[in-house]
Amino acid sequence: MFKYLPKRILVTAIISVLSGCATFQLTDLFQGYNSQMKPVKAAQRQGDFLKAQNLLGEREQSNNTYVLSLLERGRLQFLAANWPASQKTFAQAYVQVENQRNKAKIQISKGFENLGAVVSNDNATSYEVPYYEQGMLHSYQALNYLFQHDLSGALVEIRRANLVQENALKAYKDELYKAQNELHNSGMSTDSLQGGYPSMVSAIGKVKNGFQNAFTFYLSGILYEASGELNDAYIDYKRAIEIYPENNYLQQDVLRLATKLAMQDDLASFQQRFGKYQARDSKGQGQVVVLVERDIINSKQDVGLNLPVGRSNYGLKFFSFSLPVYEGALTQHSKISFKSTEQSYQSNEIVRIQSLAAKDLKDQLPSLLTRQVVRVVAKEQVRQKLSREAGDVGNILASIYNIASEKADTRSWSTLPDQVDIVRMDLPAGKQVLQVQVNGQQKHIEVDVQPNRITLINYSAIGSYTSYQVINL
Amino acid sequence: MNKLALVTTLGLTLVFAAGCANKSVVRYGDATAVETTDINFGSTDLQKVAAQMTDSLLLSPVVGTLTQNTRPVMFVERLKNKTSEHIDTESITDSISTKLLRSGKFRFVDMGRVEAAREQLKFQHDGGMVDPNKATQFGRQIGAQYMLYGNLSSIVKSNQDKSDVYYKFTLRLMDLESGLVEWADETEIRKTKAKESVGW
Repeated sequence: MFKYLPKRILVTAIISVLSGCATFQLTDLFQGYNSQMKPVKAAQRQGDFLKAQNLLGEREQSNNTYVLSLLERGRLQFLAANWPASQKTFAQAYVQVENQRNKAKIQISKGFENLGAVVSNDNATSYEVPYYEQGMLHSYQALNYLFQHDLSGALVEIRRANLVQENALKAYKDELYKAQNELHNSGMSTDSLQGGYPSMVSAIGKVKNGFQNAFTFYLSGILYEASGELNDAYIDYKRAIEIYPENNYLQQDVLRLATKLAMQDDLASFQQRFGKYQARDSKGQGQVVVLVERDIINSKQDVGLNLPVGRSNYGLKFFSFSLPVYEGALTQHSKISFKSTEQSYQSNEIVRIQSLAAKDLKDQLPSLLTRQVVRVVAKEQVRQKLSREAGDVGNILASIYNIASEKADTRSWSTLPDQVDIVRMDLPAGKQVLQVQVNGQQKHIEVDVQPNRITLINYSAIGSYTSYQVINL
Repeated sequence: MNKLALVTTLGLTLVFAAGCANKSVVRYGDATAVETTDINFGSTDLQKVAAQMTDSLLLSPVVGTLTQNTRPVMFVERLKNKTSEHIDTESITDSISTKLLRSGKFRFVDMGRVEAAREQLKFQHDGGMVDPNKATQFGRQIGAQYMLYGNLSSIVKSNQDKSDVYYKFTLRLMDLESGLVEWADETEIRKTKAKESVGW
């Protein structure tokens, strides 16, 4: 009895350290994040953002999903038009993201977390905010500043969003290569997933990577244009059109600014691609830009697979895996039409956040699989040891634990819109009423258009719920 | 052997316990001491920028001739923040204008307080509490002759091993009547931060 004492103290010490400095809720281990978010999303769909916030629940700062809960809360506060609160929440989330980024290259606490994850599942690790979510964080933060009439604060956030995209571009290739290498060393490849694992091809659509977000570029362009920095605006519109060349509003913006800035070579090539451009007389007119948020992004789903794992000392053996996946095809949203007294405008897609999320998940698959292989092998060893030492009871208990704890990490920012559309129109200055045709319903928007200035409208259409915010830039 | 393990474990537990719950201490420090808590724009940068700019302005020969017989009236336009941080640029201009005022060579009008001054004058004239003969008159204020304005921009780069931030602060003095820029200078700051290789 006494012989085991130090060992027991050691175990207790490790457990107390684990729970003291980096905690995870037990519910996270056995109930997926997607099912925890279901009631929140249901309330969000009804437009009851206060209820959604209450359902979200508080998480401790030491909790490994703290940063994600901040993102969800900030987004719900943004939808509830509570800009100062949303700004504060997102600022806290940004601090967390920065801390994560500035952490040491080798983190001791990460080792403990991974240890926890090996005996349970990936939900025990700290949530790492993917690049596309960081981009959206800064985009919403920019809008928060704007709605509080702080254009220069909004521009700071836009610059941060651009930094995120630049860093993502730099890190992307290295990380992908490294992850695939590690997976190869663990005796598996992503090819072995074929069949059991949904390909997500239809969800990914035509996005090339999981971080370049034309919406962020477009918002950036609008804000630069509003602050009179046309050259910066032009660069961002050009970046956006590389991603969405078929968006007719973007085409007009690029042509308009190329003409204004006398970019002759660019103008020639853009006119070749998008047709002739004739500068219009904009005297006494103002521009109205509508950002239309459509619906809510899907949550990740848990998919169970049986996969062979080949390791020299075990031979080929089948193990059951759990992996996160975005199931099903993209929802096709009908276009929303905005009608002024003279003309009707159709909304046009500027980003499909669902596709960014799916692509991001697909890029993460190699490293997810590597961790999964380590985990199933470790759990299998525990089961064998228990069955040897405690007989059938141990075997059954271990098997039950292994099945129950085999949960995929379905954490992701789940209150984001599925898609964002844009509309851009020139309207005569003064009070205007826009007729909106959305999901078979007739709504209207009142705007006060200022001559030669941009009026920004943020329009949310979630299910049958709609709302809008107007700001003169 | 067992005892050694026991002692080590107890020791480790104590260290971790102490790490997770240590007492906070309040101290006074030197306000001008170099501050390197993180790589973001901090008090040292603010002090450095303000000191260098005012020194350069006060020592420049052009300003010497401008202020030979008079104390020109200036106003500070806001600084444009073109960095990727939320910086209180008013704090920088406050430091600069305070230092310039302290030199005794310039006088300032404060555009940020025009409304408050108007309120006060309105009260003196219409409030019925102030003797009309002793009330401060409307329309006697002196207009600014020079405008001080500037930009603060930054370039941020980072990789897995380090981050680097470069700030450039430009300040200009414009003669409001002629529109000429009489003086300009810039200050640069470079900060790098190497990531620690092992940490908690």
